[in-house]
Amino acid sequence: MSDSQQIETRLRETAEKLLREKKVSLFLGYEKATLPFRTSPLFLSKPEEVERLAWNPFCTTNLSVYLPRLFKAPVDARAAKAAPPPPTVGVALKGCDIRSVVALLQERQVRRENLVLVGIACPGMVDRRKAEKALGDHQALGAGEDGRGNIRVVVDDGTEITLRREDVVADACLECRSPAPTINDIMIGTPVEGKKTETARLRTAEFESRPLEARWAGFQEVFSRCIRCNACRQACPMCYCQTCIFDQNRPRWIGAGTDLSDVAIYHLVRALHLAGRCTECGACERACPMGIDVRLLGRKMCAEVEDLYGYRPGEAIDATPVLSSFAMDDPQDFVTEP
Amino acid sequence: MTEKLISHTNLERLLERLRERGTVYAPGRDAEGEVALLQWPQKEPLTLEFTNFRQSPKAFFLPQTQTLLRFQDGKPVEASLPSGERYLFGVRPCDARALLLVDKVFLDGDQNDPYYARLREKTTVIGLACAQTMPSCFCTSVGGGPGDGTGADVLAVALDADLLLKAVTAKGEDLLSRAVDLLAEATPAALQEAEERIHAAQDQLAPAATADSDRRLREAYDSPLWETAGQKCLGCGTCSFLCPTCHCFDITDELRGGVGRRVRTWDCCAYPQFTLHGSGHNPRPTPKERWRQRMMHKFRYAVENFAVSFCVGCGRCIRNCPVSMDLRTALKELGA
Repeated sequence: MSDSQQIETRLRETAEKLLREKKVSLFLGYEKATLPFRTSPLFLSKPEEVERLAWNPFCTTNLSVYLPRLFKAPVDARAAKAAPPPPTVGVALKGCDIRSVVALLQERQVRRENLVLVGIACPGMVDRRKAEKALGDHQALGAGEDGRGNIRVVVDDGTEITLRREDVVADACLECRSPAPTINDIMIGTPVEGKKTETARLRTAEFESRPLEARWAGFQEVFSRCIRCNACRQACPMCYCQTCIFDQNRPRWIGAGTDLSDVAIYHLVRALHLAGRCTECGACERACPMGIDVRLLGRKMCAEVEDLYGYRPGEAIDATPVLSSFAMDDPQDFVTEP
Repeated sequence: MTEKLISHTNLERLLERLRERGTVYAPGRDAEGEVALLQWPQKEPLTLEFTNFRQSPKAFFLPQTQTLLRFQDGKPVEASLPSGERYLFGVRPCDARALLLVDKVFLDGDQNDPYYARLREKTTVIGLACAQTMPSCFCTSVGGGPGDGTGADVLAVALDADLLLKAVTAKGEDLLSRAVDLLAEATPAALQEAEERIHAAQDQLAPAATADSDRRLREAYDSPLWETAGQKCLGCGTCSFLCPTCHCFDITDELRGGVGRRVRTWDCCAYPQFTLHGSGHNPRPTPKERWRQRMMHKFRYAVENFAVSFCVGCGRCIRNCPVSMDLRTALKELGA
């Protein structure tokens, strides 16, 4: 039995118990999807349906993205009055996902007392695009995990191909420094060790080492493929604004189309709005249908915040978020006169 | 219907000849190594080995950002419609068929959209039958097929040695008639090989539960399944932006000083602003209503209005949904 299968069994038992004992009214997990290398989020409310819960190398979605919605009161006063009480929610969370929950708790978007955090040890999740690319001309018909944590794929000619997990896990997982869900109510599995601090920085450093013109050209090359579908924003747990700046139309701050200036502003604004808040889960990158390196700017912002303020979002609930604190000796040399 | 054979060498010559008359787009590898419809010629040779493009050719006809007119000091300055001829080679049958569906919206009688009409008129589409399908493909369940020429002007079928070219429209007949010196007669063996290849691709496809979708959806308007789908849907526009038949748009004026432009951009029913009224009321307030709308539009309203569903089974929405929602599952679960 692979680690994943053991975790899956424990996860089902845990969810069944929580739902049956009415500790939670809703359990968020994953279920098998119709295509290989994927799972789909599952909202469970009946204990007898826990067999649908899946745990495998394809549980990429950061489920914390759904939490703020569940606790959001209707804007309309009458509707708010008539609204049912907020649910109690059990949720399966990897190390990255739990960091998002921590940031959401700090920003008062979710209620700790209404959450049962089920932390799951994660050895890194598969990026479906990497896996599909690794298969070359073959089409995957089904995929699973072998006893060693590698990915076994059945392809169109009926043969089996094994992909090494480290070759096909998501970029964010290769850079993940805290795969263990340190803050949890229930922990499943044995946590693996985190990656070194430098892994993400090396990628940033490569881009930074280019001359200004080449960086601008690289930026344009990366973002010119953007189709402004908002998948990165919608998949991001930290993008919960009631009305996003990109959706405002009085005034309309930015054009809705794909002119480079609009696309550039979109990505610059996201990078800045997430500075000091991004927990580096990589959901934006995995959601992008165009395969854009959406975190090109975000990785840099995270390194900056850590270097300047010694702060990593999502590490501790009682830590003061960097944007909510001020110290007289904070570095200010980047502040320029108008 | 003219059916001819063309060798791979002569295919390049044909494209070369078309390039003298306009801009040619053909399958090539982009910076990411993905096969896309790129301006031909590229550094790398033409490739016919691909499943389908990441994006459908919709943007050739309904650009994501399209300037409709420019204005100055409150007066319109005549917008220039594009004038150059374009040739798209290698469009897959599902995407070609999608053009005929979108035509119903933009070219039907009083709904004639001059911008769309112009781009359609100035473009010749050479389809390319599929040899390899994907698990997300279901064209045969929505009236298409891997060898369906509908929507293309010419359909090409790649064979072992040559390509079979079938003229589908008058434009296609004209294209072939101007290239007779590059073409050979289609032999019965070649026609049979094409037939076999198309059948082989067809056999790879699993059926989707599309039958009677309009009636089933009419009866399922209040189904609890919409609630389940709405819980899951993130509300991004990936499905509709990649969809070859989704065609909803927004129009905005961009003004700077006295000079401005009226611009048309893609819009999407998954976004809350899509139906937000000036009063602040939103008739589709949650993802549940918005996701239902997308399904209703494709598989019910389109059938009621045009007697055909607005889905060509390309599977892009299924492959690219960040949370792996699959409309085939919804169609299966919604009513009998």
